[in-house]
Amino acid sequence: MTAPADEYLLAALRIAAGTDPVPDRVSADARSVFALHLPGGIAAVPLATAAGEGARSAQPHERPRAHRYAAAGLTIDIEPVVAAGRVDVAGQISPAPGAGSLVEVRTPHVSDSRVPSEGGRFVVTGLPAGWISVVCHRPGHPPVFTRWTHVRP
Amino acid sequence: MPPDISPRPPSGPPLDRVAWDDLVARFDGRMWAVARAFGLSPADAADAVQGAWLRLVEGLGAIRDPDRIGAWLITTTRHEAARLSRSRAGSGPADEVADVPDPSAPDPAAAVVDADYGRQVWRRLDLLGEPCRSLLRLCALHPEARYAQIALRLELPVGSIGPTRARCLSRLRALLEEPS
Repeated sequence: MTAPADEYLLAALRIAAGTDPVPDRVSADARSVFALHLPGGIAAVPLATAAGEGARSAQPHERPRAHRYAAAGLTIDIEPVVAAGRVDVAGQISPAPGAGSLVEVRTPHVSDSRVPSEGGRFVVTGLPAGWISVVCHRPGHPPVFTRWTHVRP
Repeated sequence: MPPDISPRPPSGPPLDRVAWDDLVARFDGRMWAVARAFGLSPADAADAVQGAWLRLVEGLGAIRDPDRIGAWLITTTRHEAARLSRSRAGSGPADEVADVPDPSAPDPAAAVVDADYGRQVWRRLDLLGEPCRSLLRLCALHPEARYAQIALRLELPVGSIGPTRARCLSRLRALLEEPS
C-alpha cells in the first residue's frame, strides 16, 4: 500500500479522538442525494473553456467562470454568478433543443426549470449557493445532465 | 494492517436506497474527518462531503464494483476538500476535467481512515518527541488553527511550522511501519 496522505493520518486521529463527529445535517444531506439520481440520464463531459467565453457578456471585473459540457450531440454552456449570496445561472444549449424541451437547474435541495429560448438560452436566478447541475430534458430523449459544480461566494 | 473498509454487498439491486443509506452510515464520519483534516470550516467541509456524494450519484449507472465504493468515497472527499482548500487559498479551482478520481482505482491508502487505526496512530504519536507530539496533536484536533497560532502556542518561528509538520508526519509514518 502507498503511504497514506497527511490528511488521512490526521483524519484517523480525529475519528479516534471523537471530538468532531459528523453533524446530523451533513448525514441527512448525504442521504437525500440519492433522490437526485436520474435513471437513464446521460452525463455531459466537462470540456475546457477559454476565460470569459460563455453564455453571458461579462464585464471584465466580474469574470464569471464559464463551464462547458457535452454529450449526446449537445453542448451545455453555463455561467454561474454569485450575487448577494444567491446564485444566478445563465446558459445555452447548443444546438437549441427544440420545442417541448425544458432546462432544469438543480441544487441538492431545490430546482428550477425554464423553457429555453429559440436559440437555446436560459437564465435561472436566486438559487442557494453550493452545488448546481443543469439538466436538459428533450421529448423522446434521455435527460442530459452536467457534472455537479460548486459555486460559493 | 489497516482495516478492510469495503462496504457489505447490497442486499437488493446495486445501490438502491437501502444500500445508499448503509453507505452513508458507514462512511460519512470518515469523509467528514478527511474534509476537516484539510482545515476546512464546518460549512466548507459539509460542501466537500456533499460533493463526493454528488459525484457518486452522477456516476451511479457506471458503478461496476460496489466493493470499491467506500475507498472511492474517501478518495473523492479528499479531492473535493483539496479543491475547496485551494479555492479558499486563492489559487483557484482545479481543472474540473481531470479532478474526479477513477471509480475503478480508488486510493487503497484511504483504508487508514478508521477509528481502530486512528488509535494505533495516537499510540505511535505519543512516542514522538517534542515539538512533533504537540504539533501533530494541534494539527489533528484543531485543523483550522493557522500556522501563526500554532507558532505562538509552541514558541516556534512561523516559517518553521510547515517544514516541521512535514518532518513530524514523516517520522510518524516511519513509526507506523515498524512492527508493534
